[in-house]
Amino acid sequence: MSFALETENLVKTYGSVRALDGLTLSIPAGGVYGVLGPNGAGKSTLFRIALGLVRPTAGSARLFGAPVGGTTALRRVGAMIETPRYPPYLTARDTLRMLALESGAAGKADIDYWLERVGLGGAADRKAGVFSVGMKQRLGLAAAFFTRPELVILDEPTSGMDPAGIQEIRALIRDLADKEGVTIILASHQLDEVRRVCDRVAIFSRGKLATEGSVETLTGGRARLRLTVSPVDKALAVLGAKGEPDGPDNVLAAIERDETPGLIRALVEAGVEITEARWREADLETAYLGALKTETPKTQEPADAG
Amino acid sequence: MLVDAIAAERFRLLRDRAALFWGFAFVPLAALAFSLAGDIFVRLAFHRTIPGATTDLANRALGAVAGAAGPVQALFLLIGAAAIVAGDYRWETWRLLAPRNSRLNLLAAKLLVFTEASAWSLLLTAVCALAGGLFSSVFNAAPLVAPASETAFLGQFAGVFLITWLEMLLIGSLACLVGVVTRSTMGAVIAGLVVVVVQSTVAAAIAGPPVWKSLAVPAYAAGILKTFLAAPAGMRPDGEPALLGLVLLIAWLALLTIAALLLFKRQDLTKE
Repeated sequence: MSFALETENLVKTYGSVRALDGLTLSIPAGGVYGVLGPNGAGKSTLFRIALGLVRPTAGSARLFGAPVGGTTALRRVGAMIETPRYPPYLTARDTLRMLALESGAAGKADIDYWLERVGLGGAADRKAGVFSVGMKQRLGLAAAFFTRPELVILDEPTSGMDPAGIQEIRALIRDLADKEGVTIILASHQLDEVRRVCDRVAIFSRGKLATEGSVETLTGGRARLRLTVSPVDKALAVLGAKGEPDGPDNVLAAIERDETPGLIRALVEAGVEITEARWREADLETAYLGALKTETPKTQEPADAG
Repeated sequence: MLVDAIAAERFRLLRDRAALFWGFAFVPLAALAFSLAGDIFVRLAFHRTIPGATTDLANRALGAVAGAAGPVQALFLLIGAAAIVAGDYRWETWRLLAPRNSRLNLLAAKLLVFTEASAWSLLLTAVCALAGGLFSSVFNAAPLVAPASETAFLGQFAGVFLITWLEMLLIGSLACLVGVVTRSTMGAVIAGLVVVVVQSTVAAAIAGPPVWKSLAVPAYAAGILKTFLAAPAGMRPDGEPALLGLVLLIAWLALLTIAALLLFKRQDLTKE
């Protein structure tokens, strides 16, 4: 298996703050890879090291097998780090033209196509410095993708966007990974976004890898039925191994959707009162919060299993 | 590649009209405006021309070029230099650029584009001085006179042009180094201006024959060089101090540039 980004015992300190604390991680080439973690967990620091913006204090990081910082590997990478900023005197089109020149890709970059694709076709000749946050994000995405890199690193790509824009960008990311084979590494605080878009996920905590695996494995693989019932213990007895308590009045049932009528019937026959029943989608939040509590680095499964 | 970085920087500067105007065009254009206004004022106030007055276009241009790196001009040049070399700290745009080319190429391209822009600015200074002289000649009915030896003048002009250009590059390198250290355009302008004013004051106060210590002051070394180059052939002072001054000016330029490049190469761009 080839890896887009690998780190080994990566450490980065800023004064007394240890932003990365011995991070060892291998991100496979292909698909969308999510990086989760609370603020200060080290996500942006990892990205900045990968892009040669900051130097690691110790350990190593490699892009496509080459040490980070070299221009050869970086030319295969596009990126959007945090909310992008732009020189205020450049229009959106000029910003991309300048970046294309800087990359030595002025001939192959299809600037107008990408401005249209991220929804900025009508704003191409407006100054990018006065764009709204959402428009800056869109231009940042165009800047990350327009030289057709093999790997794209995106830090909070949909922050500040309206719901329709978020949907568009998620579809774009998935599309590029599925149809054009671009590897995308994406950091986000929106767990639902990561669940919908990513194939694999790493959860960082205090500069370390807390857990890593496919989304399916981390979320338990399927949706669960959440029932508000009384009494809870009687409901759990009916559910057996498929049930677990979820607060004082609720139980979670790990069943298939077509088992729902039978389960409801069984609960009613056992004398359980059901106030509400609702399907809860595969839950990354539980895995996320659980990983932050335990913080013991572990890999849920081999990288090629997902 | 460096050539890509230069193309990108040149593209940016051509679109940054404020930096282009204030940094590289304002002083020559303002000097021309003052020259025209002065001629018009004198003519209107006194209602006559000066009998027997002539206009020496060549020496006007030479004088303008020789004085184009003084403290006032340096202030505007520092504004232009700071916009080019330190603008990415101000706009927090290093994160866009740094992954696309090597650190050395990125900063070297900025210095080279400043080098080009300052040459154009110096050329504009000469052209504006010529334009002002022509206007003065026509407006005051002062006939044009040619320099004593046109061939010698061209050599003098080229020499003075190159030394002033070298002084301008020193100002650019200084702005670059201070910009990298302070991560600020304002820092580059203010610190650069303080250095320029202090060394100009020191240069004006130096008395006695030039020695290596006094020639280590760039403004003094440049003055000695320009005096040497502009002097008529038979009246040229000793060339040794001028040569030493040239070596020291180049050494300063190399030192400031290398220091800026090395610091930038190792600099963490956490928040620009």
